[in-house]
Amino acid sequence: MRGRPNLYTNYSSEMGLFPSTTKKVSMVLLAVIAILAPLHALPYFGFLGDGAWMVLINKALVYAIAALGLNLLTGVAGQVSLGHAFFMAVGAYTAVVLGGEAGNTVWGLGLPMWIWLPAAGIVAALVGVLIAPTAVRVRGLYLAFVTLGLVFIGLYLWRNLGKIAGGPTTGRPWPELEFSLWRNMDPIISFTSDGPLWWWLKPVNLLPWVHIEEMDGEVKTYFFVLVLMAILALLGKNIMRTRIGRSWAAIRDRDIAAEVMGVPEAKGKTQAFGISSFYAGIAGAVLASVVGRIIPESWDIFLSVEFVAIILIGGAGTVVGTLMGTFFVVLTPRIVENVTGFLATQATEGGPFAWLGKLFVRSGPDDWIGIVSYPDAAGPGLSVAQLNIVLFGVLIIVFLIAEPLGLYGIWLRVRNYWKGWPFTY
Amino acid sequence: MTSTLEQSATPDLSGAFPTVAWRTRDWAERTPDRVAMRDKDFGIWRERTCAQLWDEVLTAAHALLALGVEPGDVTSIHSEDRPEWVIFDFATVAINGISTGLYPTNPIAETQYLLNDAGSVVHLAEDQEQVDKIIEPGRDAYPTIRKIVYCEPRGVRTIDDDRLMYWDDFMELGEEHRRDNGGAVERLMLDAEPDQVMTLIYTSGTTGPPKGAMLTHRNIEFAVEMVLNSPDRFKGDQGEGIRDEKLTYLPLCHIAERLFSSVSMAYNGPILNFAESIETVQENLREVQPTIFFAVPRIWERIHAGILIKLRDATWIKRMFSGLGLKLAAYIGRKRVENGGDFTLGARLAYMVGNPLVFRALKERVGLRHCRYASSGAAAIAPEVLEFFMGLGIPVYELYGMTENTACATTNFDGRVKVGTVGEPYPEIGLRIDEETGEIQTKHDAVFPGYWNKPEATRDTFTEDGWLRTGDVGVWVDGTHVKIVDRIKHIIITSGGKNISPSELENSLKTSPYIKEAMAIGDGRKYVTALIAIEYDVVGDWALRRQIPYTTYRDLAEKPEVIELIQGVVNQTNEKFAHVEQIKKFRMIPKELDHEDGELTATQKLKRSAMEKMFGDLVESMYS
Repeated sequence: MRGRPNLYTNYSSEMGLFPSTTKKVSMVLLAVIAILAPLHALPYFGFLGDGAWMVLINKALVYAIAALGLNLLTGVAGQVSLGHAFFMAVGAYTAVVLGGEAGNTVWGLGLPMWIWLPAAGIVAALVGVLIAPTAVRVRGLYLAFVTLGLVFIGLYLWRNLGKIAGGPTTGRPWPELEFSLWRNMDPIISFTSDGPLWWWLKPVNLLPWVHIEEMDGEVKTYFFVLVLMAILALLGKNIMRTRIGRSWAAIRDRDIAAEVMGVPEAKGKTQAFGISSFYAGIAGAVLASVVGRIIPESWDIFLSVEFVAIILIGGAGTVVGTLMGTFFVVLTPRIVENVTGFLATQATEGGPFAWLGKLFVRSGPDDWIGIVSYPDAAGPGLSVAQLNIVLFGVLIIVFLIAEPLGLYGIWLRVRNYWKGWPFTY
Repeated sequence: MTSTLEQSATPDLSGAFPTVAWRTRDWAERTPDRVAMRDKDFGIWRERTCAQLWDEVLTAAHALLALGVEPGDVTSIHSEDRPEWVIFDFATVAINGISTGLYPTNPIAETQYLLNDAGSVVHLAEDQEQVDKIIEPGRDAYPTIRKIVYCEPRGVRTIDDDRLMYWDDFMELGEEHRRDNGGAVERLMLDAEPDQVMTLIYTSGTTGPPKGAMLTHRNIEFAVEMVLNSPDRFKGDQGEGIRDEKLTYLPLCHIAERLFSSVSMAYNGPILNFAESIETVQENLREVQPTIFFAVPRIWERIHAGILIKLRDATWIKRMFSGLGLKLAAYIGRKRVENGGDFTLGARLAYMVGNPLVFRALKERVGLRHCRYASSGAAAIAPEVLEFFMGLGIPVYELYGMTENTACATTNFDGRVKVGTVGEPYPEIGLRIDEETGEIQTKHDAVFPGYWNKPEATRDTFTEDGWLRTGDVGVWVDGTHVKIVDRIKHIIITSGGKNISPSELENSLKTSPYIKEAMAIGDGRKYVTALIAIEYDVVGDWALRRQIPYTTYRDLAEKPEVIELIQGVVNQTNEKFAHVEQIKKFRMIPKELDHEDGELTATQKLKRSAMEKMFGDLVESMYS
């Protein structure tokens, strides 16, 4: 109610997606930035439209889809899973079998995207539903081990099913993100090729100072994945705030109590595994398609751990937290690399941070002080990639101990600080 | 055939006397879809429009007719504030019956006395607790009651008693009667007379058994005209209207809440929001953010103490800002008090700094962000509390009245506020202070015609020339404002012959957040002493901070550290009074005071005689 934000006169306003004006406004602002920044239409944000950044952001968006799925399973329904990489692989291989080109050594039906993309999700979801009964039997750590087993079973399968996965060291090419009506027809819309706008879009003046004539392939992919992610995020949010999500939360908080209250445990867990795997399947298919070629070894335990890290750092159980966690985890390596490079330059060429650079970076075999060697293998010490892995390990420990609600929890604290003003509680 | 048609037709009511029921119907006709009231149910404020409200009132009135209630019969309501309270009340008014309300805390013995004194025929009991008060003493204990309507079925359905009737069944009965006898209620409404008794309001009975004050339609109408609608009560002539929001949380059987809530809704149309319970008032206040708010001093003191404690508990940056804010508020409050409640230039500037920094957020937290008019009444409030709220930009106007004059005597008008007084008499009402006794007496259209079935008590309440004796001693301040000294009966005359007002001492003590209740004693004694009850939460919090362990209320109250703390408060109070008036000794009351145990009235006023009897040995120990 206007001027009385806490006065709810019906349930729908209380459950509203964006219950306050502040949230509505910030959502619109975020959408405007997300649309305009890659088009070089906003001052200061223009660099995001550059190829290297776009690739990274696209990866983050695809990861976000998978993370949203794991968040539903682990964050909302409370089922610990290390098998997310397996379900992503199921989605990816479904996509490649349905959409890929047939060859001498591989299967492929060459079907268009509107078939293989949904199918990737659905097949993964079905596999998830098959796995779900084990979750009714085992809990917590044991469930984590069961799902971990899935990853190894999966790795064995992909290595040996060459007809599906391609060579163990070469993999196989994935179908591109393009929309065509049937196999072998010219794509109506391609989300990957550089060049002019899609056929029905004439060059436009988006804003008085922004003229759009053509778009890079990465930018097109970005818009496709962004829309896909937004739809799935909204769907996730809706699942969480309605009946299914509430039943999951009940199961998470105490499965026996939930069952006693009339929330069917087996059904809830099955739904959670199914829907979560659907997200993973979609993400796996899109990820493989964006990357273009993937070897079977990629779907390993580290990929799963990365998603666990995302939802723990971001904040389990929330959509916004998951998105924050994804961007943090995907963009941090890049930032670490840039910072290391900067410090290395400072150390060799001198500057205000030279002392820090000398302490931190080993620039050659004779440099005995420092943690990271830069450029890689320039001296003893960690490589930047190894540093990133160490950093995530440390971050997971720190977040679990200090801020179990993750980045979202930090945001909550900041918000509550002002919400309570001038009181503390 | 034509005669039945004529009979069932709804008569034209435009010429009838506008009772609250008539006005509810009028709102339903003029603004059917406007929200009339909200009540919170499963976390949601459910809305009732004017049309829905009148529809329910009409059905309930038909149900009363079906139960054989006749004009002049008494119905009774024993419930917390809820829409059914108002619906049942208005329905009774519509058929020219007389309604009376009971406090939910009334114990069985009092309930029995009140219902039999009033002679109630249909009784509305909220839940099992209230139903039990009727069922338990047996059928003979309530000879007049024919039906008991209950709102909450939990625990009641299993009771086997043919007098019981669920609210929904009651309304269904009404629907049926309404189908067969359309227009019957409206025809009764045509008969409404201004001097007809509308309601019985029982005085709280600090001295003897409660007496039922009869209030007529004319009483109510005049009181609305004066108390709610007198000009210059609000800033800038913006009188009470349909855009206002109110929170209904004090017992509706009290004249103040009745006048400010349900009667005000019927006359002026503000939206009534029913608080879930007295415990959730603070939370409900935050949700509703009422524009007009009435509270008794106890509530104002609680909000005041709550703010101070929470500010003290805040982190240091917030404490720094709130400390500055409180200093500004103190300055603004002082300036406004000196200036009749208005801002001075300096106060205005200080407010412009303090409001965005602290006040606005603070007001939002306590639920008074949109409050444009607040008032305090029913007991004396400490000037410090008024000054505090004035400093925050919430003008709290103290007003004065009593059941017997429909709460209509004096108020502080905007811009002419004198803190420490109860303000000026309403324009054109008769109010005088007896020169001999100092008693305040009133004479106007809102003065009640008498007590229900108590002609003798009625006679004692009026002077020979027909003025109402309020029983309060007052003095004129500057010839315009009235200051209440005390109840006549409470005045202490020490053995030295000195007249002392215990309320002044007690109110001064009660400004401390640590003291909940205090009773000054000294009538016929050598010196003044006091019994003091601590505020359990606040003192408990204080003890926790000092790492003083305690187990129960009694244990805490009798800790030497706590007695020392209270001694400090007593010393501060004593500084404000002359030597003979000072409290020489005090004792801690070893239990929490309670209505059920007979120490307090339903309105939380001390029953002095009961207290003296109960804690007689404590009192004697101070004089031996």
